[in-house]
Amino acid sequence: MQTLEIISINFWNVLISLCNLLLLFLMFKHFLYQPVKKMLAQRQATIDLQYEQAETAKSEALAMKESWEEKMTTARTEADGILENAVKSANVQSREILDQTRERAARMITRAQEEAASERRKAEQEIKDQIADVSVALAEKMIGRELNADDHSELIDSFISEIGEDDEGDK
Amino acid sequence: MKHTRPTGRPSKAVDALLLLGMLLPIAAGIALKVLLVPASEGIEITGAYIFFTLPLPLGGLPITETQVNSWLVMLSLLFLCLYLTRGLSEKAQTKRQHVAEWIVEQTEGLVTSNMGEYFAGFAPFIGAMLALSAFSSLLSLTGLFPPTSDINVTGGWAILVFILITYYKMKCGPVHYLKSFAEPVAFLTPLNVISEIATPVSMAFRHYGNVLSGSVISVLVAAALQGLSQIILGRLPGILGEVPWLRIGIPAVLSVYFDLFSGCLQAFIFAMLTMLYVGGAFPAEDYFKKQEKKKAKRLQTNNN
Repeated sequence: MQTLEIISINFWNVLISLCNLLLLFLMFKHFLYQPVKKMLAQRQATIDLQYEQAETAKSEALAMKESWEEKMTTARTEADGILENAVKSANVQSREILDQTRERAARMITRAQEEAASERRKAEQEIKDQIADVSVALAEKMIGRELNADDHSELIDSFISEIGEDDEGDK
Repeated sequence: MKHTRPTGRPSKAVDALLLLGMLLPIAAGIALKVLLVPASEGIEITGAYIFFTLPLPLGGLPITETQVNSWLVMLSLLFLCLYLTRGLSEKAQTKRQHVAEWIVEQTEGLVTSNMGEYFAGFAPFIGAMLALSAFSSLLSLTGLFPPTSDINVTGGWAILVFILITYYKMKCGPVHYLKSFAEPVAFLTPLNVISEIATPVSMAFRHYGNVLSGSVISVLVAAALQGLSQIILGRLPGILGEVPWLRIGIPAVLSVYFDLFSGCLQAFIFAMLTMLYVGGAFPAEDYFKKQEKKKAKRLQTNNN
């Protein structure tokens, strides 16, 4: 059988094995390490880019948040001011309205009182006149002659006012 | 463009072809062995089978199982690389990409931690060495002749390592290199020279001896078990007595140690020693000092 001895050294075989290892080294470098490392570098670049973008987005968001907060605080103070003003003006208005109504009511009452008084005075006058007429008529009948109402008006008036006083005293 | 496929998952057909490319060399090796190599009879421990010899000076070039199997392993590994790096994307979508990344990162970590950042470019070399050594040894699992049990193969690798060691020792100039033999004391020079030469020899013989001894022990154990089987179970009637029962299973346990464990371990040891020797051979401090001096000189001359 054609076989090598257990230990047999051949120059060409050693050289072939040496070249084999070098060849496999090149193969590994070109077909395994370089593609993988290229991909890893790309991935690193993407990750870096995304980190950068995230950072900028975060800072932008923070700036926005700050501006919004500022706006919110100003809006709140504005709203507070508006509310305060509204309450104030409402108070003023209500007071005004109350005052006006009170005044009007007072005016109405006084007018009513005046009217009542004038009515009463008118009524009194009428009653007086009627009583004067009645008393003149009565006196004519009793005396039998005509009395001049104008001549005796003073007398009649005093008489009637006495009656009025009596009436009032009865009350 | 007509030929660009939509990016995404790589097509299954090409994957299948690549997988076939990985497995076919091994199958071809087995077929070649079955067809051409005559089966050994009894206990026979020989080197690789010689297919033919090319007439070259220096003893001719015998093309043996060793060479053929080495090339088959390399072909297989090439297809493995192509398979692993197919469809790489930034967002790792496939398991094989994780495997590829793991291999690259692990070997780079190993190299930089053992040799320093300066030698980061050694990662593919160490990876290739690990893969070639381990898969060559593991080839014995398929019944093929493991190339690493040929001294020529491990010898070639060791000589390459020796060249690398010498190259990095020469980085500071030949004077520095020659001076390094006379350290720490001048009369130790012969010993230093011997140890320098012993390095590749010991590396080659360690790897070769471990793999070969595994095969030898396997052959011996198998033969012994056959004999034992005949003695104990030979009296069983008919064909039952002829079957070597004890050879079933027991050699597999040995194979796990000698082929799997020892094969991978020797690959790792060889790569480890390479890294340590080459890394240790490089006089980093002196080299960087010299570089700085050179830079300073260049700056001076430029200024003048």
